[in-house]
Amino acid sequence: MRLMTFAAAGALLAAQAAHAQEATLDLVEPISEYKIYVSENVDTLVKNTTEFVAAVKAGDVEKAKSLFAPTRLNYEAIEPIAELFSDLDVSIDSRADDYEKAEADPAFPGFHRIEYGLWEKNSTEGLDPVADKLLADVQDLQGRIESLTFPPEVVVGGAAVLMEEVAATKISGEEDRYSHTDLWDFRGNFDGAQKIVELMRPLVIDRDPDFIKTVDENFATIDTILSKYQSGEGYVTYDNLTEADRVVLAAAVNTLAEDLSTLRGKLGLD
Amino acid sequence: MAETPLSTTRRGLLAGAAALAAAPGLALAATEQTTSAGQRHVTDAPIADTTNSRDMVSPHGAHQAGIVTPRPANGIVAAFHVLANDAADLEALFRRLTERIVFLTHGGPVPDADPKLPPPDSGILGPVVPPDALTITVGLGSSLFEDRPWLAALKPRVLQRMVKFHNDALIADLCHGDLMLQFCANTQDTCVHALRDVVKNLPGQMVLKWAQAGNVPVLPQRPGAAPESARNLLGFRDGSANPDSADEELMRRLVWVGPESDEPDWATGGSYAAVRIIRNLVERWDRTPLGEQERIMGRMKMSGAPLDQPDATEAQVPDFATDPDGTRTPLDAHIRLANPRTPATEANLILRRPFNYVNGVLKNGQLDQGLLFIAWQADLDRGFITVQKRLDKEPLEEYIRPVGGGYFFALPGFADGDYVGSTLIAAISPTSQTTSSQPVSSDPAPDPGTKP
Ligand code: HEM
Repeated sequence: MRLMTFAAAGALLAAQAAHAQEATLDLVEPISEYKIYVSENVDTLVKNTTEFVAAVKAGDVEKAKSLFAPTRLNYEAIEPIAELFSDLDVSIDSRADDYEKAEADPAFPGFHRIEYGLWEKNSTEGLDPVADKLLADVQDLQGRIESLTFPPEVVVGGAAVLMEEVAATKISGEEDRYSHTDLWDFRGNFDGAQKIVELMRPLVIDRDPDFIKTVDENFATIDTILSKYQSGEGYVTYDNLTEADRVVLAAAVNTLAEDLSTLRGKLGLD
Repeated sequence: MAETPLSTTRRGLLAGAAALAAAPGLALAATEQTTSAGQRHVTDAPIADTTNSRDMVSPHGAHQAGIVTPRPANGIVAAFHVLANDAADLEALFRRLTERIVFLTHGGPVPDADPKLPPPDSGILGPVVPPDALTITVGLGSSLFEDRPWLAALKPRVLQRMVKFHNDALIADLCHGDLMLQFCANTQDTCVHALRDVVKNLPGQMVLKWAQAGNVPVLPQRPGAAPESARNLLGFRDGSANPDSADEELMRRLVWVGPESDEPDWATGGSYAAVRIIRNLVERWDRTPLGEQERIMGRMKMSGAPLDQPDATEAQVPDFATDPDGTRTPLDAHIRLANPRTPATEANLILRRPFNYVNGVLKNGQLDQGLLFIAWQADLDRGFITVQKRLDKEPLEEYIRPVGGGYFFALPGFADGDYVGSTLIAAISPTSQTTSSQPVSSDPAPDPGTKP
């Protein structure tokens, strides 16, 4: 696209400033709807984590393995909000690289610590306290989210944050490096981002139909690719993803990350 | 600023002022790029204080810039996956890339930023992007053609996937690519800025696969001294015996695909690149006696003189014919294997235009340093591949380890108003495509660039 003239750009800026005021008001409804979405997800997360933790504590490796990815899904979908509580995010979802002694570090907690035990050791040995802590953490998260006033810029910016997550750690397959269930996490991240776009759509569509069109197209591309790898309720392991499909996913994610990074600004938020 | 597409030497070495007339904050002193002062070979070492951020190398001409253009101090090679399902997709990619190339190589002010939006430019060069002798050279890998039935028939004749040579320890993540961009500029910041710009502006069309940055040492000014080849990280002058890139007839024969090349018509004016990321085992090299180092290379370390004429300069041509037993220059010396200097091996000459790289430390605690080897030729088989096969099992192998790279075909040059790759697109669908339908032009002012 050609550069717009500076005059045109200036006019646009002025128009956007005027929009800003009304935009914040317009956001009230989508944000309360988003809060409902997040609450539902965190409720499901608590319910699923309870079952997952029970399986771990019962020493049922196979059952625990089968519950791992579906349990994480809801966490991944609400990551922009969950990340606001950084102490919990570290405790629930940090990876071995975050610890000096990696997997061997006694401080390594959460989902990925259990994932490591289940897949690398094929055992639940020593995981009881980790599992108890995980459940306590997600319950804590549930409580904190309930009493949270959702900051508009976090909600709107969340769509881009989710794409940055995927681009930075999911595309490489390093998030779920023991179980290779990354495609489930993808699904969660995409659902979360798409939800935000859905809720903001009425505020953007008239002003910028092209934006919505490209964003929709890229989400559709992702759906098409992911559906190729569906298996039962979920997805096959990440190593099944062909290089060609990985590239298509990466391009869609990068484009979404670029486009969605403008969503906050488009709605006049800082 | 349309240039005649036929002038190939020094084309590119424009005074930068005209294009920057619109750029506030930059002085307008016209600077003839200093390379014309004495830098004859592409691999002559850059000289301090003779280059300038206003130096401009035009992207337009019969050939792409960055091939016979004298090498500036810095470079990056980046390889990408391409997303293009049909000719229209590929054309859109080439056009978008051309827009970015035209803006970045001419320089100009970056678009104003709305504080509420991510800035359209990374800002690392400030509010006005200087041209800084930037060239961006576009090459295509064999996978681009082979993976696309509608393009496969147009693959350049000897474009192929790089396969392992004797000493290679190739790392898959550092090899191949559908499309390669070579960035060269006076400063590394300019290369980095350009790469970031391309990555940001074509996210749905290209996905980065690998990239390697490099540089060559800049020498202090020494008035009256003959130009020197820049040294590589083994401490030797690299490029002494390079073919003279100012010799158009020679370049036509060695570097450029021409009508007689038995290549598809669209490829005329292009060139093959062999890119190799070659680790240097520098600790081990530094523990090797000087005499042995010199016998391995076939040249004196400090002066670059050929071993058979140790008091001469690096410009002196070695005489292997009178040394058939290798008494003066060992038969397996690098330069002797690379170029035996017989009438038959004349056809295998290549134009080398490498950079040194320094990547930190490997797992084993050794320095990760080496040569970002880039060689240009009209025929990959006759050029790089033949030369590398002759070098297989050379004594130098103990000190080097090729780990990555790939083969690429640099698209023919493009005129102002045209776009890079237009001849290839036209060859796919001769009717649907004319260069005048939707010109990408840098006139009258350079496009400061913006995101759609
Ligand atoms: C890290 C790897 C390498 C190092 C350190 C290296 C170093 C050198 C040096 C110091 C020279 C002598 C000066 C000159 O004429 O440039 C030279 C010459 C040459 N090298 Fe290499 N080189 C390397 C890899 C290669 C490769 C991979 C090829 C091609 C397959 C190659 C082809 C040549 C050629 C053709 C010459 C010129 C020989 C002549 O015409 O006299 N080099 N190289």
